[in-house]
Amino acid sequence: MTISNEVSNDAPILDVRNVVMHYRTEKGDVSAIENVSFSLKSGESFGLVGESGCGKTSMAMALLQLQAENATFKGGEIVLNGEDMLKMNPAEVRSHRWSDISMVFQGAMNAWNPVHRVGAQIKEAMDLHIRPQLSHTESRERIASLFEMVGLDPEMMDRYPHEFSGGMRQRAIIAMALSCDPQIIIADEPTTALDVIVQDQILTELKKIQHDLGMSIIYISHDIAVIAEVTDRMGVMYAGKMVETGPTIEVFHNPKHPYAFLLLSSTPSITGPRRKLAPLEGEPPNLLDPPPGCRFHPRCPFVTDQCRTEEPPLAEIGGGHRVACWNWESVPPLSEGLRK
Amino acid sequence: MDTKQVPESLQRIEVQIPDRPLWRIRAGLLWESFKSNWKLFKRNRVGLVGLVVIILFAILGLAQPILFATGVWDAKIYDVRTGNDTRVRIAEMTVVANVDEVIDPTSQIDRRRLIAEGENVQVGDVIQRELKHPWPPDRHHLLGTDPNGSDILSQLMYGARAAFGLGLLAAFVTVFIATTVGSVAAYFGGWVDSFFMRFADLLLMLPILAVLIVASSFGRFKLWHLAIFLGLLGGFGGTAIVLKSQALSVKVKPFIDAARVAGGNNWRIVTAHLIPNVMPLSFLYVMFSVTGAISSEAVLSFLGLLNIQMSWGLMINKTQSAGYLLNPATWWLIVPAGLAVTLLAGAFYLAGRGMDEIINPRLRNR
Amino acid sequence: MSGYHANAFTKGSPLGRYVIKRFVQMVVLFLVFFALSWIALQAIPGNSIEQQLRLNPNLPPEAITQALARRGLDKPPLEQFWLYTKAFFTGDLGVSWSRYPQPVSKLIAERLPRTVMLFSVALLFQYLIGFQAGKYLAWRRNKRGEIAITIAGVSLFTVFYPWFGLMMILLFAVKLGWVPTNGFIVEATWRGAPVSANHVMVIMFFSLLAVTAFIGLTSWASSRLDQPNRRRLVKIGAWVVGLGGFWLFWATNQYLVYAKDVAVHLVLPVSVLTMVGFAGVMLITRTSMLETMKEDFVTTARAKGLSEAMVRDRHAARTALLPVSTSLVLAVATVIDGGIITESIFGWPGMGQLLLASVVSEDIPVALAAFSFTGILALLGHFAADILYGVLDPRIRVTSQG
Repeated sequence: MTISNEVSNDAPILDVRNVVMHYRTEKGDVSAIENVSFSLKSGESFGLVGESGCGKTSMAMALLQLQAENATFKGGEIVLNGEDMLKMNPAEVRSHRWSDISMVFQGAMNAWNPVHRVGAQIKEAMDLHIRPQLSHTESRERIASLFEMVGLDPEMMDRYPHEFSGGMRQRAIIAMALSCDPQIIIADEPTTALDVIVQDQILTELKKIQHDLGMSIIYISHDIAVIAEVTDRMGVMYAGKMVETGPTIEVFHNPKHPYAFLLLSSTPSITGPRRKLAPLEGEPPNLLDPPPGCRFHPRCPFVTDQCRTEEPPLAEIGGGHRVACWNWESVPPLSEGLRK
Repeated sequence: MDTKQVPESLQRIEVQIPDRPLWRIRAGLLWESFKSNWKLFKRNRVGLVGLVVIILFAILGLAQPILFATGVWDAKIYDVRTGNDTRVRIAEMTVVANVDEVIDPTSQIDRRRLIAEGENVQVGDVIQRELKHPWPPDRHHLLGTDPNGSDILSQLMYGARAAFGLGLLAAFVTVFIATTVGSVAAYFGGWVDSFFMRFADLLLMLPILAVLIVASSFGRFKLWHLAIFLGLLGGFGGTAIVLKSQALSVKVKPFIDAARVAGGNNWRIVTAHLIPNVMPLSFLYVMFSVTGAISSEAVLSFLGLLNIQMSWGLMINKTQSAGYLLNPATWWLIVPAGLAVTLLAGAFYLAGRGMDEIINPRLRNR
Repeated sequence: MSGYHANAFTKGSPLGRYVIKRFVQMVVLFLVFFALSWIALQAIPGNSIEQQLRLNPNLPPEAITQALARRGLDKPPLEQFWLYTKAFFTGDLGVSWSRYPQPVSKLIAERLPRTVMLFSVALLFQYLIGFQAGKYLAWRRNKRGEIAITIAGVSLFTVFYPWFGLMMILLFAVKLGWVPTNGFIVEATWRGAPVSANHVMVIMFFSLLAVTAFIGLTSWASSRLDQPNRRRLVKIGAWVVGLGGFWLFWATNQYLVYAKDVAVHLVLPVSVLTMVGFAGVMLITRTSMLETMKEDFVTTARAKGLSEAMVRDRHAARTALLPVSTSLVLAVATVIDGGIITESIFGWPGMGQLLLASVVSEDIPVALAAFSFTGILALLGHFAADILYGVLDPRIRVTSQG
């Protein structure tokens, strides 16, 4: 995997700046996304990793403006090709969906409508966004070639979703995500529901397609190994906040936020050096009433008094690697593990 | 971590085991789940409207015996059947504008008095009318009287009691049978299932109203006969099918297998594991069954096929037989009773829908 | 219910075998139903026909015995049942007792078209309006107006129907005088008419059916077109051609006067049936839409950039259509039973009234025939609902074909 895109100085096609999103509930506001920023350049792949409930899926939905009805944006911008999506009206947002940003959903099982044929569901998106250029036969030919690209028999497009296996459905979802030539694909847990061999096939497929078509992909997963395998840059989210971001190799091998550090040291590595696994204790905080200061401090082994009161900024520590921690310098190298 | 030592988290649980008796713990849990469900229910305003209407009718039904007992109402006047307000009510003096109206038998003028005064009433005569029953609403009879002189409000209150009694009895019979039949059919499958389901199909084929008419001709139905009959029809019929499909979805859950592996016998698994998990839906169908029972009773007594003291349907039936049915001038004979059936049946249905949104997670708000 | 229907299909047997199995079950079920009905009706205390005959003092006892023998009533019950069953299945439904000597089959042939006419129109309106209303209600969840519409809908759904019918008659027929109070024709108009009322009704029914089918099929076909503009054009065209054709057909028809008379009498019962029935359809649609709208594929549809109306109509509503269509079939199956009240209140002389009158007057041959008819209709309805469910839901369709 190359990280050459990292140094190219193109303007980003997607720039998420200081987004704050809350869910309004009866018990109060849940701060689901708090001041998250990242950007994506053309052809680049970016990974978002974190525990369930950390806000990564909320972030993905926000990029398509598909957030739940009780969600409100308290600030920030989501700039797509120079336009802020948060300021668009619904019709403008719809015109960008799928044609600019498409999505590979988690749990492909339910992402298909059971009563329509798979091909028809793909064609529906194409009719909406690229219809004027394509006749009926041309669109079918395009779907056929997309099916071939993702490794499906083109004849399957006239079948219903329940006739597909789990892996086939996921491939078909990828075909649908590609159908309108988007600049960005969001892959939300693209392989979670699949067994390991199929998982690997799908990831390889996605990587190959990205290489051939040159689009950008945002991977979202709780599985840091998946992210490490397929992305150029990554961000680690914790309790609605971005706590560490940087080139994937850098973050993966040299995590400096205690949370990323613990997450990685609790993941066994086959290829990396042997290390003692350190458990990540405690539970993620209640986002109705997040802890003051650093949101990770109740679980952090490196906690100091400053962490309890002051919120650490996401600060550059060199080479595009940014960490939101007061004590990142006391986090040891991954190979040494955590001494208790 | 040293595995030989009991982990700290487990020790904590051990300390927490209280010496309260088991039933108190169970009661506490029940109370907790009631509280949390009530909170969910309260949010659903539609269900709440239903509950409020049900409570209002319950108060109405319970108030009547109190009014009699405390002597506010005299049974001679206010009894639902024999009550007759014989006090004379004189209307204001009026000028006869239309002789036909005076002679019209359904008009408010007592013909006997006319005869006594001599039959030669002419336009322009000033006559004093003595009001004949049915009297329109006034402060003695808030909803007026029927053609026999009985109080409509009193009948309405009695009808509320009858409707509650019949509706709840029929609903509990329905749901008791349907839960048992549905669970047993789902758990044992095979010919037991086939037998009960085909039987349910058979009941669904029946023209219910015609069957009730046939049944009532075997001797006039009393209210509780009807309740049991409706309960049997519903319990072995449509409700059993619905609850069976619910029981089927419970049957495939892992804890049923676990209970079987743990050596529970079939009856114990059905009664201790299957039925309790079908119960929430059963409870919902109590609500819907009440709606059905109240409507059925009203239709039957409207057709005059029941042997009962008084009910809302019977009030309309009596209005019809007295010839006041299509007369807008005596609206109080027909409007309150019909409205009451509609409101109470609707209220149970609304409350049921409110519960549905708690029980059925697919309907819940995000 | 859905679990029950799905269950019947997922046994994995081929469709043909499934249909045969169901058919055998239906025949057995019908025989049991038939026998039970016969027993129940025979068991009604008092032999009405004998009592009636004995009321007439001029009849000699021999004549009474003869009359009973002619109806087969002198034989032991088992033999009576056997004779009746044999006759029934060879197509001889017997002779009415209360309208002696009219054959039962003639009575039914006379009554059935009227019931079909009334309820087909009413069901058409109920389902068209109910489905649309339910769709919007689900879509407007938690918005203003939802509670009011729900409560109004539930009130109509659970309204004390005979009373509601009477109130409507009181208002629109008695007070305002817009429509006739009851009956299905005005006798005077038909004196010397060249056709029977039933004949006109049959023409009305089929012309209506043709128009509905034409509009329905064309709209359905238009949804296969790709361009939204052309789709809309075809849809509007279908309505214009359909309604125009209907108008042209009747404007030039010699029976127009008679059809008008029937139509005027239809207005009130159809409106009342629609008001009461649409609410039920609306509530079913709403529930099933709410369940569908939670599905992931609705989010997928939105992510694809479809407009809210397209998400609603093509994805949420299309899937929510399944239980609604099933309920339509079942509603057709219970038309005669449901017709009892409607037809008595509006004085519509159809099957429901026939059933009621026969049961009340203990006219056993007619009652048995009406019961059997109701039973057959219900059986076929349930069968059709199962098949329809399979046709509409591809998940079930394929498993049933193995």
